Amino acid sequence: MTARTTATILRRDIAETVATRRQSTRLRVYPAPAVKIFVIGAGQVGTTIVEALHGEHDVTVLDLDPARLAAISQRFDVATLEANGASRRALADAGVRNADLVLACTSRDEANLVAGTFARLEAPRATTVIRTSNVEYIELWRQGQLDVDFVVSSEIETAHAIARVIGVSAAVQSDVFADGQVQLVEYDVTEGASREILGRPLREATVPPDSRLAAIIRDGTMTLPRGDDAILPGDRIVVIGSPRAATAWGKVLAPWEAEVEDVVIFGAGRVGTAIARQLLEQGIGVRLIEENRERARVVAEAFPRARVYNASGLDPDFLERERIGYADAAVFAMREDAKNHYVATLARIHGVTFTIAIVHDAISRQVYQHAGIDVQVDPRQVTAEEIVRFAHDPRTQQVAMLENDRFEVLDLTTRPTSEYVGLRFREMPIRGALIGAIVRDGQAVFPRSDDTLQAGDRVIVFTESERVPDVERVL
Amino acid sequence: MTNDRRRATARRTPRLAVDLRDALGLTGTLVKYLSASALVPAGVAILYREPFWPFLAAGAIAFAAGLGLERLGRHSHGVGFREGYLVVALTWLLAAVFGAIPYLLSGEPQLDGPVNAFFESMSGFSTTGASILTNVDTVDHSLLLWRQFTQWLGGMGIIVLALAVLPRLRVGGRQLLDSEMAGPETDPLADRIRTTARRLWLLYIALTVALAAILVVFGVVGVDHRMGLFEGVSVALATMPTGGFMPTSGSLADFAAASQWVVVVFMLIAGVNFALVYRALVRRRWRSVGADEELRLYLGILLVASVALVAEIWSDGLAEGEAALRHGVFQVVSITTTTGFASTDFGTWATFALMLLLGLMFVGGSAGSTGSSVKVVRHLLVARSLRRELRQTLHPEEVMPVRLNGLVVQEKTLRGVVAFVLLYIGLFVIGAGVVAVDTAVQGPTISTIDAIAAAATSLGNVGPGLGVAGPFGSFASYPDVSKLTLAALMWLGRLEIIPVVVLMTRHYWRVR
Repeated sequence: MTARTTATILRRDIAETVATRRQSTRLRVYPAPAVKIFVIGAGQVGTTIVEALHGEHDVTVLDLDPARLAAISQRFDVATLEANGASRRALADAGVRNADLVLACTSRDEANLVAGTFARLEAPRATTVIRTSNVEYIELWRQGQLDVDFVVSSEIETAHAIARVIGVSAAVQSDVFADGQVQLVEYDVTEGASREILGRPLREATVPPDSRLAAIIRDGTMTLPRGDDAILPGDRIVVIGSPRAATAWGKVLAPWEAEVEDVVIFGAGRVGTAIARQLLEQGIGVRLIEENRERARVVAEAFPRARVYNASGLDPDFLERERIGYADAAVFAMREDAKNHYVATLARIHGVTFTIAIVHDAISRQVYQHAGIDVQVDPRQVTAEEIVRFAHDPRTQQVAMLENDRFEVLDLTTRPTSEYVGLRFREMPIRGALIGAIVRDGQAVFPRSDDTLQAGDRVIVFTESERVPDVERVL
Repeated sequence: MTNDRRRATARRTPRLAVDLRDALGLTGTLVKYLSASALVPAGVAILYREPFWPFLAAGAIAFAAGLGLERLGRHSHGVGFREGYLVVALTWLLAAVFGAIPYLLSGEPQLDGPVNAFFESMSGFSTTGASILTNVDTVDHSLLLWRQFTQWLGGMGIIVLALAVLPRLRVGGRQLLDSEMAGPETDPLADRIRTTARRLWLLYIALTVALAAILVVFGVVGVDHRMGLFEGVSVALATMPTGGFMPTSGSLADFAAASQWVVVVFMLIAGVNFALVYRALVRRRWRSVGADEELRLYLGILLVASVALVAEIWSDGLAEGEAALRHGVFQVVSITTTTGFASTDFGTWATFALMLLLGLMFVGGSAGSTGSSVKVVRHLLVARSLRRELRQTLHPEEVMPVRLNGLVVQEKTLRGVVAFVLLYIGLFVIGAGVVAVDTAVQGPTISTIDAIAAAATSLGNVGPGLGVAGPFGSFASYPDVSKLTLAALMWLGRLEIIPVVVLMTRHYWRVR
């Protein structure tokens, strides 16, 4: 199968994926009582957050720019305060000690980190979330050295969004957890699936490593599969596993569909390299094109498995010489939207059939759409969505909903008092829930039946919606 | 500024860019301390009731010369970057001169002329192992041990030793160490150069003692009847520096198979980066050591070459079974690591085997080992650079860093490696040309291919050549010009060319 037809199939899948996602809204709105939320920073991320939360919650927005605050207070019913979020006194004066949730989402990493730290001092019980693009901060947070509850990075969220679009070709819907280390994918099983998996009892089937079959949905009923169950054509299955395993499942279930092998990324800045890292992690080949010679060298040294070109996407000879048109997909992640627009158009002329562009200015989305760019990803939008997620259950890091809210995937941290702690996975009573993966010390582990659950493990649980309270209680 | 003042400034600018007094002062200090090494063969001479005064006299001359240079120059414990090259080149040249004095004073008939003595001494300090001696058995024990001992000193390096032992010697930072240690980038064992030098020498001593002990035990328990204390120590002193001198005629051919296998193992270790050996033996990080790309290529080359040579000598009927295996592996390891021992007279083998061994002379040990020649890592980096160039012709815009063990190799290092290999080839061609013409003028006993092998073996610090200079032969019949040329190649090869060649450039001596 040629690259072109693959891309066409891919595009159709994405259209479906995007549609499914829109319907089932990944954001779960808990019927929780209104909480008091502080948003520090009234930029595009802050505004998007306010838009999502102002309805049910008591929101206060802090920013130094009165014009931005005025714009927000005109649109939404929220309190605004012209104050420096990175000042402890200003935070105290603003009454942060009554807050339940503090979201620091200015465009400056350091200001967010300071604001998060001060908020923790002023309001020890509040959940703090900071936005940062600094990889070092993210690593520190993963090691538990940064005293904030959650860290959200625009670059990484953008990379996840793009990887969801191009990563798993046979998927109906897919979601990532634990910073992309765990992936949840829904697949429709057809007659064309590999015989190694189809119709065989699961204990005999060859299941890709580092993954768990979480559920089989057949004729509208979900079963948590056991060793003697089998996957049949027409089933919809839910798999939890590593990004690589997700790709492997896609290959087993749709062997006829050529794998995405070659993605060209224009612009090797922070967003471009974050996308490259995520795609490489899924085993997808990446070509990076960067105009700046020094930056190209640094990126080439940092990514041994990617191919890096020091060239301009505006150079048609280069596009022709390197056969950019043969790529399965092209991502335009340069800093200027106008350039992304132009280069994407040029790439389409050269035969690239599937294009994804990063939106920096809100208006660019429409321009891109008009120019025929297939997918537009707005890093601020994605980041805001991610931050809003934390506004719900402070303990739940991420919630995904499947099959029109009948099933949910929870990302929970186990309490030391949980009755499951210390149990082996095979000894756990089945209560309509399944632990697909655990995140221990920042690393995703895909448990075997004789592993034990430990206090403080982050667990990715798949369950029916009505059992969510039970699961949250026992863990 | 007036004309007068300008002239005055011009006059104050030294014409010479090198601070000769600093360089000579430090060289003098190094030679002065090196003279103490004459005490070792003097002690052996007393033990064997042989004349010991040649060694004491040589030591005294070297001490006086060192002291003189020290006085002539500035008594300095630190030199600059530029002076470092001169110090290294000069110290090694003077060490070879010092080493030649006992041969001359002893009145040993085979080493009578100054050229012969200098050749033997340079062959010793540069760990080459090419010899003038045609009959070793008649030579005094103390003189033979001095030969072995110069190799042992030269193996890990005189300046590395000085750094490890001498107090308050700060010789121009890492650069002096780098110019004496093998390879494009030395892997420091510690943050401080002094600690690195100490660890290297301690490891070196420990390995030498271990090998000597094993061989002596073989002699005592009767595994190897020919192996006594003197032989065991001598073999160890020539194995760890990948030297190749032997105090018996017929190299290692008359020793037991078990001894030969043990020597193979230690030659193998001597050809490995000592930083890796240290990590493996002392820190016990086997996995990281096993993943080293240079080590893997080194072992791979040895394996492939051994298989080829074993097959060749077995099919030619020169040896069978264990003997074929042993002779094949021994010669491959000995030549590749630039040791130069022989377990049999391979000079009589067929052309294929000889050409294979001649080719292996250009492989060398690993960087940071005591082995010489081009070194495995340079072959690896040149191959990767060439592969990149080929890929670059198809993808002119692609940025392709060359990696070694997953780490990016600086472009500057790559340029240095390519320059080294080209210089190496150039010097080999020039040296071979000079020797070939010189020997051809003298008569037909030495063929052109022998002359080429002599240049290769000298520049690579290997030892045995072909023809009359084969593993059981000697360089005695080579004319004097050839001997001096070969000695110069040994000097260049041991110091990895650049520190010597840079002295020949105008820019080294002049400010502008």
